[in-house]
Amino acid sequence: MSVSYKPVIWNRSKMIYDGVLLAGIAIYILIFLKVGPVLSPALRDVDLPTQRMRAFGSLALLMLTIVLAIGPLARIDTRFIPLLYNRRHFGVMTAIVAATHAYYVLGWYFSYSPTPQLTALFTSNTSFTSVAGFPFELFGVFALIILAVLAVTSHDFWLSFLTPPLWKAIHMSVYLAYASIILHVALGALLDRRDLALGFLSLGGLTLLCVLHLMAGRRETASDHAASAKAPEEPWIVVGDLSEIAEGRAIIGASPGGERIAVFRSKGGLSAVSNVCSHQNGPIGEGKVVLGFITCPWHGYQYRPEDGCSPPPFRERIRKYRVRLQGSTVVVDPQPLPLGTKLDPVAIPAELLPPTPKKEGTA
Amino acid sequence: MLKPAERGFFVGYFKKVPTDVRALMIGFIVFFVAGMASASVLLSLNTDSPGAGSYADELHGEHLIGTMETSPYPVLRVPATGSRPARAIMLAGSGKFGVDDRALPLAGKAAQVGGVFVKRGDLEMLLIGGGDDLKAAEPQAVALPNPSPSESLGRWRLTGEICDGKCGGGAMKPGTGLAHKACANLCINGGVPPVFVSTAPVEGHIFFLLSSANGGPMPARLLDKTGAPIVLEGTIERRDDLLIFKVDGFADGAGA
Repeated sequence: MSVSYKPVIWNRSKMIYDGVLLAGIAIYILIFLKVGPVLSPALRDVDLPTQRMRAFGSLALLMLTIVLAIGPLARIDTRFIPLLYNRRHFGVMTAIVAATHAYYVLGWYFSYSPTPQLTALFTSNTSFTSVAGFPFELFGVFALIILAVLAVTSHDFWLSFLTPPLWKAIHMSVYLAYASIILHVALGALLDRRDLALGFLSLGGLTLLCVLHLMAGRRETASDHAASAKAPEEPWIVVGDLSEIAEGRAIIGASPGGERIAVFRSKGGLSAVSNVCSHQNGPIGEGKVVLGFITCPWHGYQYRPEDGCSPPPFRERIRKYRVRLQGSTVVVDPQPLPLGTKLDPVAIPAELLPPTPKKEGTA
Repeated sequence: MLKPAERGFFVGYFKKVPTDVRALMIGFIVFFVAGMASASVLLSLNTDSPGAGSYADELHGEHLIGTMETSPYPVLRVPATGSRPARAIMLAGSGKFGVDDRALPLAGKAAQVGGVFVKRGDLEMLLIGGGDDLKAAEPQAVALPNPSPSESLGRWRLTGEICDGKCGGGAMKPGTGLAHKACANLCINGGVPPVFVSTAPVEGHIFFLLSSANGGPMPARLLDKTGAPIVLEGTIERRDDLLIFKVDGFADGAGA
């Protein structure tokens, strides 16, 4: 969380994350360019600019595949959330690696010519009607533009400036970039070289991503379909039973309109808030009450249970909902309260407190 | 009923990381680093050799003297000397530039040419630098025998690939293929002589200088066909050690 916009607010997790990321990139490039030619006479015969194009191009595809796998992995198993925490650095590095690939392509295939580089890029091949020979470079250009826009707007300043819904929509175009890169590789290097390893990375990666997204999507769809039952009193809905909520955790209900509502249990009280974090729409209901604050699992944004506001000097807010206990049944009014409305947690009657729910691990 | 036992809760800006998250992340880091190394090995080694084309500085600063021909592209006809038979040498400039503008004033005249060769099999192209590397032979009175007339080798249908003679000869490795298509087009548009790389030899040659059916430059329409396998029809003409494929159509009957 931050109240001012700094380029990067470093912490130990981010430093380890970036250190491992940079190490992986360095290992990949060094092995490709230094060890590969030693091991393979065929690669040694390939000129150095082409070796560099292949090294950075294949690395960009590999990195984008990993980046796109992080989201569904974190949905399927929350222990992968540390990968999500600093994912934007992974994305920015992917854009830089892809731009390096483009730099070598422009400096080799499109240089030393009477035609200016960028003009040559768009005009030298116009075989739009054939598959073999199609100007596949244009798919790469399109993908690189998207990746560059996403990298430039990855900072929280742009998230706040554009608003989370618009920012999220723009950043979903990463899938368009991925599709474009797959076409770029398929119509270029794959058709050209029949490279089995690259084919496996492209098509195997595509298959893996489809499977992971389908698994994560199925989980979300099941949650959406399990809409909360209506309580006897309109418009209240039944979110679950008190015994289902572990201390410091939440259960998630869904209003008739589909809006998800999280009911947290902490220190003998219940608080209902929107399940959507105001930062990046993270699933707050999968978070935890840490040091008295509802804490989003994605980036650790925190909110007070009583009014849904971040503690000063932070200004983030999420909506609150009315919550009641009918016996041990937790019911919620799905009509959200105005942002900032203070509503003290509903005290859990003493007779419902035992047996004490199992204590969770600490953060 | 309580939910199943939950996992530790990670907060990025906290120093302490839950044990189960830490264990998985350590495993992931090992997997990530090993995976990057393995992927790099697999992707780097899985390549074919682009062939043996290369630069060859055979002239060592000296010059060749021959008769300049400019159709379909600049070619220097070097007469036989001693045991070395006559040669017809394709000419190109530096980068993706041809030498048409410098060769045209010398058409049919004796020319003195220097530079560096690119060579690959029977493909040979002389890359001419600036200044004195291409000029009229001095003295102009030098007596050169008339080049041998062209010899027709008849009509052929050839399967292969169109590329530019400079990259195909070894200036780029690989200098053929789809990934190189845009570069080949830039070279050919810049005046570098295009060649046809045949899958089967004709009279021992697999490289042919490409021209139109009437002996002019390669038809512009063929720029759409570079870098990919293609079947072309036409006549083949021999000039000394150089074969010229004069394309008049595609295998399906369409004209070029």
